[in-house]
Amino acid sequence: MNRVRKATLRMLVLLALAAALGLAGWWLYRGAQPVELTLYFHPFVGPEPLVLNESRYPNPGGEGRFTVRDFQFLLSNIRLSGATGAYVESDSYHLVRFDGDDPAAVIVLHDVPRRDYERIEFGIGVDAAANRSLTPRGDLDPNGRMAWTWEVGYKFVLFEGALLRGTASVPLVYHVGFDESYRPISTDLHGEPLDSRQARLDFRVDILRLFQGATTVDMAALPAVKFDRADAALLARNFAAMVTPMWPDAARTSRDP
Amino acid sequence: MARAASIAVLLAALAAGGCDERRRAATPLPGFSAPFVFGRFQVPADNPLTAEAVALGRRLFYDPRLSAAGTVSCSTCHIQRLAFTDGRATSVGVSGRPLAFNSMTLANLIWGPQRFFWNGRAASLEEQALVPIEHADEMAQDLGRLVAQLSADASYRELFETAYGETSPDTIARALASFVRTLISSNSRYDQFLRGEIALEAQEELGRKLFMAHPDVKVSLRGANCIDCHSQFLTGGFSARYDGFANNGLDDEEHLQPGLQLVTGSPAHRGLFKVPSLRNIALTAPYMHDGRFTTLEQVLDHYDRGIQNSSTLSPLIVEADNRGTAGEGRISLHLTPEEKAAIIAFLHTLTDQDFVTAERFSDPFAHK
Repeated sequence: MNRVRKATLRMLVLLALAAALGLAGWWLYRGAQPVELTLYFHPFVGPEPLVLNESRYPNPGGEGRFTVRDFQFLLSNIRLSGATGAYVESDSYHLVRFDGDDPAAVIVLHDVPRRDYERIEFGIGVDAAANRSLTPRGDLDPNGRMAWTWEVGYKFVLFEGALLRGTASVPLVYHVGFDESYRPISTDLHGEPLDSRQARLDFRVDILRLFQGATTVDMAALPAVKFDRADAALLARNFAAMVTPMWPDAARTSRDP
Repeated sequence: MARAASIAVLLAALAAGGCDERRRAATPLPGFSAPFVFGRFQVPADNPLTAEAVALGRRLFYDPRLSAAGTVSCSTCHIQRLAFTDGRATSVGVSGRPLAFNSMTLANLIWGPQRFFWNGRAASLEEQALVPIEHADEMAQDLGRLVAQLSADASYRELFETAYGETSPDTIARALASFVRTLISSNSRYDQFLRGEIALEAQEELGRKLFMAHPDVKVSLRGANCIDCHSQFLTGGFSARYDGFANNGLDDEEHLQPGLQLVTGSPAHRGLFKVPSLRNIALTAPYMHDGRFTTLEQVLDHYDRGIQNSSTLSPLIVEADNRGTAGEGRISLHLTPEEKAAIIAFLHTLTDQDFVTAERFSDPFAHK
């Protein structure tokens, strides 16, 4: 009897040890498994979701309503960082485009090490080194629509549409580029959990904020921004406000170069 | 600046991608290279570029047995000395009835939009290749009959066996697509300029600058906004999504043809056609999808002051005005006669004599 009880006890201890080892192993295994992080970019014009080719949006600084025919921008150098380390995406150049066929534009980051990240950083536009290069990296394509010419670099933000005033239609062309327009943004993750196998972060892209910032743009007075650097700077100042996190209490900083 | 960074493209990896067990040979294409500035390209994993496939495709391309009457080959409407166009407004095949569309150049199709035909209805070169063969007005050939004819020919049997292991509509399409992918034009004077080997004449250089600029009166930048649709190095349409399709103002709202809308169903794509490469443009008259213009002067006049407005016309065309009067009535670039002549001079620098005379692209039956 005593011997049986001893054997049972031994068995129980062994089982408990095995369970503890298994748990620890699973924990270690899980910790080593990379995360797939998906960034969603939801297009808005003010409070309304973007609908292409519809004249429903009021001119922010004047009369008339505008339509959006094409809207896309380049987003670069995605980086996640925290006290325990950082994840830096290589060849991190993404074209974020809204063609009306999907509710959101998506960037998928594969194999992100599982860590306690505290902030996410990326730039709107293209850093100067890549902007002057002809090497196709990520979505950068010198023969693509976002390329101006090799002498000028890339369009960082492209907006094409029209302003309708009565029966008159004024073409709107906002191609905002130049090295100095690049805007790095850092956003506090504020405890957003990134440790599930398929984590996500959601951003609001408000096209209206491109024209409403320190100064509000009357599209009738400024229907095009192309190669004038002062005009480009005017809109570039609003880049950071254009792309904002959709999770609560996200503190953010953007520095002007 | 774009320097002579012409890189040899390693095809061994591509060739290794195929997995057809019956294929006997898969020799990487010797001497296949492309300019660095043309950028990345993709070859379908199930149809790697091999010397055997390209040799077979070249033979098929020039073989009139691909048509019902044995009178028309691909090369009837894609003539090498005309940069693989045919000099007609719209092509004529076996039926003798003129087709609806102009024969497109086959230069550099491995880059740019990977949808083919003017309205983009084929999603790959493989898919494109069989359409003219079966089209009643073009070649009117029955694919079963064609396979039987080719299988009865010992030399074709051997070529198909070596390249693909079998003779079938699928392997005919793959071989033709492989040959067409090798049709690379990269030794024009513009290419030599990009490689830093030559300087352009003053007039050509003025034309290049105008080609590469969207006008901006605010900074005194004159431009012809060609680059808004024709990429800076390839001078063809953009490859992403449907960016390589455009409504270039040929027709007003009432006369707009469906174009890309036929493929996507989107009203926003009505009247959009594929933006072709301008490589060898001086040799590929007549111009536009319906061949309506016979000279480059007419083409320039169209873009300068012939644009017809419509609901799908790009704001980039409406807004492009060297006088800054966009939105005030008639759409016009307001180019000077000298500027138009300069752009045409630049377009002539895109002619590549090597491309239109290279033996590797020529009729293999003529060299027997």
